[in-house]
Order: sequence, then structure tokens, then C-alpha cells
Amino acid sequence: MTTTSLQARTAASARGLTRTYGSGDNTVHALRGVDLDLPAGRFTAIMGPSGSGKSTLMHCLAGLDAATEGSVSVAGRDLAGLDDTALTLFRREHIGFVFQAFNLLPMLTAGQNILLPLELAGREVDRERYEQVVGVLGLADRLGHLPSQLSGGQQQRVAIARALVTRPDIVFADEPTGNLDSEASAEVLGHLRRSVRELGMTVVMVTHELDAAAYADDVVVIHDGAVTAHLADPSQDALVAALRGRRA
Amino acid sequence: MRTVLLASMRHHTRRYVAASLAVVIGVAFVVVTGVLTGATRSGLTADAGAPVAGVDHVVTMPGDREVTRLMEAAAEGGFPAMAVGYAMEPVFRDGIQLTQSADVSEVSLDPALQWQTLEDGRYPASADEALADLNRAKSSGVSIGDVVRIGSGDDAADVEVVGLVDSPSVGGASLYVPWQTLQRFDGTLWVSAVAWGGSTAAAGELAPGASVETSADWIAAQQAEISRGVDIIAILALLFVAIALFVGALVIANTFAILFAQRMRDFALLRCVGVTKRQLRRAVRLEALALGLVASTLGLLVGGALGVALVGLVGVWFDDMGGASLSPLWAGAAFAVGVLVTVGAAWLPTRAATRVAPLAALRPDTGVDVRTAAGRWRLVLALATLVGGSALLAVSVATTTVPVMLAGGALAFVGVLLLGPVLVPALVRLVGGLAGRGPVRRLATGNAVRNPRRTATTAASLLVGVTLTTAVLTGLASSRTAIDRDMDESYPLDATVTAIDAPLPADLAERVAAVDGVDDAVALDGTLASVREQSVPLVALGSQPGVVRGDRRLTTPDGVVRLSYDLVEALPRAVAERVWADRELTVVTGGRERTLRVRTGSGWGQAGIVSPATLAALDPAPQPLAVWVRAAEGTDAEDLSGDLAALAGAAGADLGGGYGNRSWVYLQVDIMTGAVVGLLAIAIVIALVGIANTLGLSVLERGRENALLRAMGLTRTQLRRSMAAEGLLLSTVATLLGTAIGIVFAWVGVQVMVGAVVDDVGITVPVWQVAAVAVTASLAGLAACVVPARKAARVTPAAGLALD
Repeated sequence: MTTTSLQARTAASARGLTRTYGSGDNTVHALRGVDLDLPAGRFTAIMGPSGSGKSTLMHCLAGLDAATEGSVSVAGRDLAGLDDTALTLFRREHIGFVFQAFNLLPMLTAGQNILLPLELAGREVDRERYEQVVGVLGLADRLGHLPSQLSGGQQQRVAIARALVTRPDIVFADEPTGNLDSEASAEVLGHLRRSVRELGMTVVMVTHELDAAAYADDVVVIHDGAVTAHLADPSQDALVAALRGRRA
Repeated sequence: MRTVLLASMRHHTRRYVAASLAVVIGVAFVVVTGVLTGATRSGLTADAGAPVAGVDHVVTMPGDREVTRLMEAAAEGGFPAMAVGYAMEPVFRDGIQLTQSADVSEVSLDPALQWQTLEDGRYPASADEALADLNRAKSSGVSIGDVVRIGSGDDAADVEVVGLVDSPSVGGASLYVPWQTLQRFDGTLWVSAVAWGGSTAAAGELAPGASVETSADWIAAQQAEISRGVDIIAILALLFVAIALFVGALVIANTFAILFAQRMRDFALLRCVGVTKRQLRRAVRLEALALGLVASTLGLLVGGALGVALVGLVGVWFDDMGGASLSPLWAGAAFAVGVLVTVGAAWLPTRAATRVAPLAALRPDTGVDVRTAAGRWRLVLALATLVGGSALLAVSVATTTVPVMLAGGALAFVGVLLLGPVLVPALVRLVGGLAGRGPVRRLATGNAVRNPRRTATTAASLLVGVTLTTAVLTGLASSRTAIDRDMDESYPLDATVTAIDAPLPADLAERVAAVDGVDDAVALDGTLASVREQSVPLVALGSQPGVVRGDRRLTTPDGVVRLSYDLVEALPRAVAERVWADRELTVVTGGRERTLRVRTGSGWGQAGIVSPATLAALDPAPQPLAVWVRAAEGTDAEDLSGDLAALAGAAGADLGGGYGNRSWVYLQVDIMTGAVVGLLAIAIVIALVGIANTLGLSVLERGRENALLRAMGLTRTQLRRSMAAEGLLLSTVATLLGTAIGIVFAWVGVQVMVGAVVDDVGITVPVWQVAAVAVTASLAGLAACVVPARKAARVTPAAGLALD
């Protein structure tokens, strides 16, 4: 396992993270003692086949799901021991999300969707930041549209804008291109990378597509609930080897 | 297809709970009505034949003289006969009035006709003995051995109570006296029939104007009459059942529409694997049928149990309740109505659901888009019905025709319901905007209006109940204002204490004023004039005293006496005839004769009213002769009358006044208000079940969305609050709209129904009652969200995101 020496800060980390579902004979071990540090200011992809536990890992790191054992800390804060409300407030302040589908509320316009997290938190809208994010994502002429009037790629861009506008410590993206054609996928992934490069954000993306992972700086490979590789700036070959090495 | 049907019913059972609840309540309502009316009917008709059970024939509708002849002939011939009817007379004990008016019937001295159920004591053996009803005796404090005086003036009769009986509510009376005594009260006696033990030929001869029928026929006719009365009540109750069922149908239709929308993909998948449109439609309709069958069966059981319990409960106070029973016809009809309403309500949603294209299953799942829009034709139709209905209402006001009003009201209301998908969301946005801006409220408003038709139907169900309740409350309050004016006219004084043949004690007015429930009392001075040796109290009224209700002037010009009809009737016949013919009365005071012009009327007791100048001319030294009383609001009529009767009796004075009548009329209005509101409450309850249902089903639909919001930082409390705000918005809008329409309907109703009888009717909005209905309905909407909101908040974001 290689680690980068460039990492200055850790945006999120897990120690001995275990998550099981069910009990007795029906117990499913989604995560088996994951240790992981995600560096700030980087675009990290979490890769693995279906059922490898990558979505569960993301949910636990993002405070959407509680760990069965082990600890998770985000932005220097240990998430264990936070009750539901505290966790919600924490997410609101520090974490942004982009999901595969159902990203936008159908009855709100694109602009309203982008500002929703700020509104939920009762925070003042930073107009400059809003304009900046909308500009970077090329949404300026789409703000008054309802989600149903936008293409899949545009919808995901709105979701990214919404995740960025609060200046979160970390943005989690769960298969953000899962429903998109290759052109729209490239566009969305490009925007995610730009938000890291140009806006200095930290983005963690769960994906099972090799092409998508190619946009990331770092790649974490997960299999059967355990991390098998954490590669910094991997070459395509190294990545394929890491994925294949496990499968062989 | 059967496998699919059964599996889907099993899978969706929980989602059908609310819809079945609406059907269960509706069917139970029908059944309870049937059980209650059945028990009332059997109870009331059971005793109807008792008075004539001892004889073979009944002479019906005899004239006064014919009754006398029949009764005399029977006494001479030694065969049984008894008058069926009653007189209304005041009753006194030891000079104190027990009641202003009691119903007095005959108790036969012939054992064969003594039909009353003796509870204590014995039957009368002579004309000066009487039976009293157990309950009336208890409330007036009369017991066996008491001597009471029935009637007033020359006709009064003193009788001893020798037995207590349990009177039936139909054909029963407070007091029973033998014919010899009863016939003295010919002024108020009304005999509808004579139970006849003699020959029919003799009856025909004695009463040629009457008809003779067998007892069996007469009893059957009586029972039919009572049945008709009960039927009218049953029909009125069924009207409310129909309203409740209509609301239930809205709830069921909405439930099916929502459930089918959520299952669109399942349907499409079924179509993909080869299910025909017809098979699919049959399957979902069978689902509705099964739901109707199960819910109606439950409704029968619940209604039956509730009916038996209610009959038992009512029986505690009302002895004439028969046994609880339900005719198979009634039960069958209730069941059929429940099933039909369910299947009928599911019909339209079913059509829409099965129109789904098989391809819909293959499209990427972009979430359930259940947006429905108001079609343009619907809008046009809505406006047309609304305008047409309003025009009919206007016509009905102009022509005061009730059928036109009912048609116009129904049409206009249907117009409002059709307009709902446009109107309700607009109002929700307006009210939501007024409430403030925060994210929770924005979210609630947005959610409440995203599916206009669903929102409109949900609101409509509550709208029906609130509109009708408000209309009825306002209508009754407005009629009550009209009744008030009428009452003030007929009964300007709540109570009057009038001297009979001696002046009143000087401090009587003070003592009367000190009685509980007396708001104000004023003493009137006057003189005891004599008319042909009969004492007539004349009192002076200078200006209208404050105790008089309403605007009616009781003062008189000089030289004029205002006499009550009763007083004129009590004068010697020759004098009375002169009063009627010449409008003149000659009175003697201080040995001098004086003739006064007469005005007649009623409402101020047994004294003549003159002007102060006239009184001064009649008698230089007037004495207190009358005390007029105004009762405080809400005073119990029986208590007041009892207290005043004691004072009046001790002073040898007569007690009169209209407070008892007034209270009785108000009691009727209150009972009617309570009954109507209570019956409409059932429709409102069903509507609230509907609100809870819509929100509950929407929660299922919005699982992922709520998870997304939670992921982005919506706290559990905020989510619960937004759900609560959504429910509150829905119920508030329905309530506001319902209140507004209800008041308009009430105005029209009052103009048409009361305006036909009384000129210049206004509308009185019972602000507190209407506000109470509005607040209750709105808050109940809030309460309806408790369960759905908790359910929504319980889901963790991760679990919600995994939902399909």
C-alpha cells in the first residue's frame, strides 16, 4: 500500500471501522475493520465491485449511518457519540453530498435546490460564493428551471453546486455518473475535479467505473468490506493491477 | 393473476387501513342509526295501544259535546268508556304554583280501563283522587297523600295524589284524574278519541260526527303514526350518513389514486410480462371489492356493537327504549352501500392506473412522478358549475324557493370541489406565505401543493364537513335572532307576580330581586278595581321599564286599559262580550264607576295596564300590585319558577311570564344544534382520517427525498415540523374555505327559509362557535400528522437512500 507524502491534513479518517447488518445467521459484514485516512484538498475515488461495501463505507464516513465498531472522524471531529440531531447539524456544516439519483427536490428550482442547505441551516447566503459556484459549473442560465426541465448531466451539476456552496470540509459523491451517458459523465467528473483544483475542495467519490476513477487523484480499492489498496496518483496500469490483483 | 392479486393485497394491507377505516365508520353509522331507530320505534309503539286495551271499540275525533254525551251514556249504562286526550292546566300545592302548565289525562274508575302501570300507591276510587307520573312527581317534590290544585279560577279542582305511575312518552301525562274532574277543564281539554265499551250503534247515535273503529285498527293507526315520526328522524339521520359516506368516498378515491400512482411500475411490469389491460383492471377492481367487503363486514360488527351499547346507555335515561335489533334489510343495505361506495370510489383511479404503458417499467427509475395537473376542460366545467350554482342561489334568494336553493348550493359546491386543484394550492401558497418564510415552512408549502389534485381531494373531504357545520351553526344562530325577536314580542316579560284580590307586601319586589337568577325586578303600583263584584288589578305604567324585553310598547294612553286575553276571558260573560264588541270596560273604584277604552294583548300577566294619570284618577292611594321580573341569562327555568312560585304563593299572588317557554324554545334550538354538529362531526372525523392517510402515503412516496434532505442537514425535528406544517396548512385552507362558503350558504339559507316568513332578516355569525369549529378542524389536521410525521422522522438517512 502506497501513501502520499504530500498530504498535509486529513479530511476524514476511519479506525477499525466495522459495520454489520442483521444478527445471528443473517449477519452481513458490510465493513470489516477499515482503517483509512482521506487527505484534504484531493479528489479520492473509492472503487470496488458491487457489494464490496463501498457505499456503506461512504455512508459511515459521512455520518449517514452509524458504525457498529470502530471510529470515524471528519474534519477533526469524532462522529461517535453524536446523537441524531448533532450529527445532522454536523453534516449541515461540514459535509456536502452528490447522489446517483434523486438528488434534487422536484418542487424546487435549480437555484432553490442549490441554496437549500444554506436555508436549512438558516445561514446567510454568500452571494459571491453562490455566483462563483454557479459560474464554475456553468449553471447561470438554468437557475430558474425545475429539475424535470433539466438533463441528467445538468441535474448532477446542480447537485454538485449545492454540495459546494456551503464550503464543506468534504464532499461525498455516490456514483454521481451512474445514470449518465459518457459525454455527460465526463462533464460531471470534470466539474468535480475542477472544484478540487480551482475551489480547493476535498471530494470523495464512490464509483465502480474505471473511467470515472481516472479523474481522481487518489484511489482507494475496497473488496469484501476491507481496503485492499490506497493509491496516490495511480497510473491506469497500476490501478488495473490493483483491482485485478485482488480478483485473481 | 390470482397469485398477483393475493400477494399485492397482502403486501399493501397496511396502506389500506385508513381507507377501510372510512368505510367502517360510514357503515357503522348506518347500522347504529338502524339499531337506534328500531329500538325507539319498538319502545314507543309498545305502549301505544294500552289506553284502549280494555275495550273493543274506539270513537275517534268526537266533538266536545259528543265526548260529554258518550261519557254520560257510559256512566248511565254502566259500561266502560274513557276519554283519550289531555288538558293543559297549572298545578298548585298549598297555594304555591308547581308548574304553569301540566298535561292532565283521564284515569278510569273502571278497573278494565286502568291501563297505567302503577309503581306505588293505588288507583283512584273517587273523583277527588289522582295519579301522578313518577318522574314529574319526583321533580316537583309531590308524593302520595299530597293534595294538589289543578287549574285556576272557578274550574280549579283539589285532588289527592293516591298513586304514582310510570307514564309512557307517547299517550302519557303528568297527572291522571277521573273524568268527572277532567271535564271541568273544558277550556284546555282536547280529546282525540274515546275508548268505548258500549255498542257501536249507540256510539254512532251519540256521536254522529265521529267515526267508530275497532281497537285493533285504532292501535295500528297510532303505531303507524309513531312509526312515521321515527321514520322522519331516521331519514334525517340518513342524510348525515350520506354526507359522511360522500366524504368517505373522497377519502377512498384519494387512497386508491395515491396507491396506484405508487404502484405504477408494478403495473407496467405486469403489462410487460403479458397481463392485458383488462386483466389488470379486473385485478385492481377485485382489490377494491375485497377491501369493500372486509371493511363493510367490520362496519356491521362495529356498528352493531356500538348500537347495542348506545341503546343500553340511552335506556338509562329514557325508559321507552325497546330492545336493540336490526332488520336484515337495514343490515343488508348498510353492507351493500359500504361495498358500493368503495368500489365506486375506486372506479376512476382504476381507469387511470391501468392506462399505464408497459414501457414505463423499462424507463430508468426517476422516482415516482405523481404530478397531476388540472385539465383545462375541468377548469371550464368548474367555472360553469360555480357560476350556474351561484346564479341559482341568487334566484332562490329572490324567489325564496327552497328546492332552487338546494340545487344551487349543491351545484356551487361541486364547482368549488372541481376548482379545488387550482384553488386549494393557490390558497395553500397564500397561507403558507403569510405564515413566514423559514425553510421548514417553504418545504411544507412546496410539498402541500406539488400534487394539486391530491391536495384538493384531501382538502375537499374536510371542506364538506366544515362548510356544512359552519352553515348549520350560522343558520341556526340567525334563526335564533329571528326567534329572539319573535319571543320578545310574545313574551316581553320573563316572569310576572300579580296580585289577585289583595295588595302585595311592600317588600316583595326586593325579595324577588334577591332570588337567584333574577337580573332585575320592578314593582308596579295600582288599584284593585272591581268589575261586577270580580276583582281586577289595574297597574300603572309610566315609562317602559327595563325589565321588558324587546321593543314592544306596553304603556297606554290616558283613559285606555290594556287587558290580556286571559283576563278578558276570566271576566263575567256579559262583560267579556262587551269588551270584545265595544272595546270598553266599566270598572268600579272607590264606589265610582268609570269606563275605559280597551286594548287587548298578552304577555304581562293577569293585570290591566293603565297610564299613571288614569290610575291617579281611579285611586289616589295606589298600592303595589305587580312585580315584573327579568331573568339573568342562562338561569334554569324550573329553579326560577320554583323560587318565584314560593314567594307568589305566600303573597296570594298569581305567577306568570314567558321565561319557561323561552327557555324551552332555546333548549330545542340548542339540542338541534348539538345533534347536527354531532352528526356532522362524523364526516369531519372521516376527513381527518383522510388527511392522515394522504400524508402517511406521501411519506412512503417521499422516502428518498426525505433522506436526501436529512443528509443535507434537515434535523429530525425540522422534518417532523415540516410534516406538521403541511397537515396544518391543508386543514387550515380547507377550514378557511369551508367557513367562508358555509357563511355564504347560511346567508342564502336564512334569506330563503326565514326570509319567506319574516321581513328584514339579517345574518348572525356565532363567532365563538364558528371559531371553535375552525380551530378544532385545523388542530385536528395537525393531530392527523402525528403518526405520519413520526414515521417519516424515524427513517435514518442511509436507510432512506437505499429505498426504492
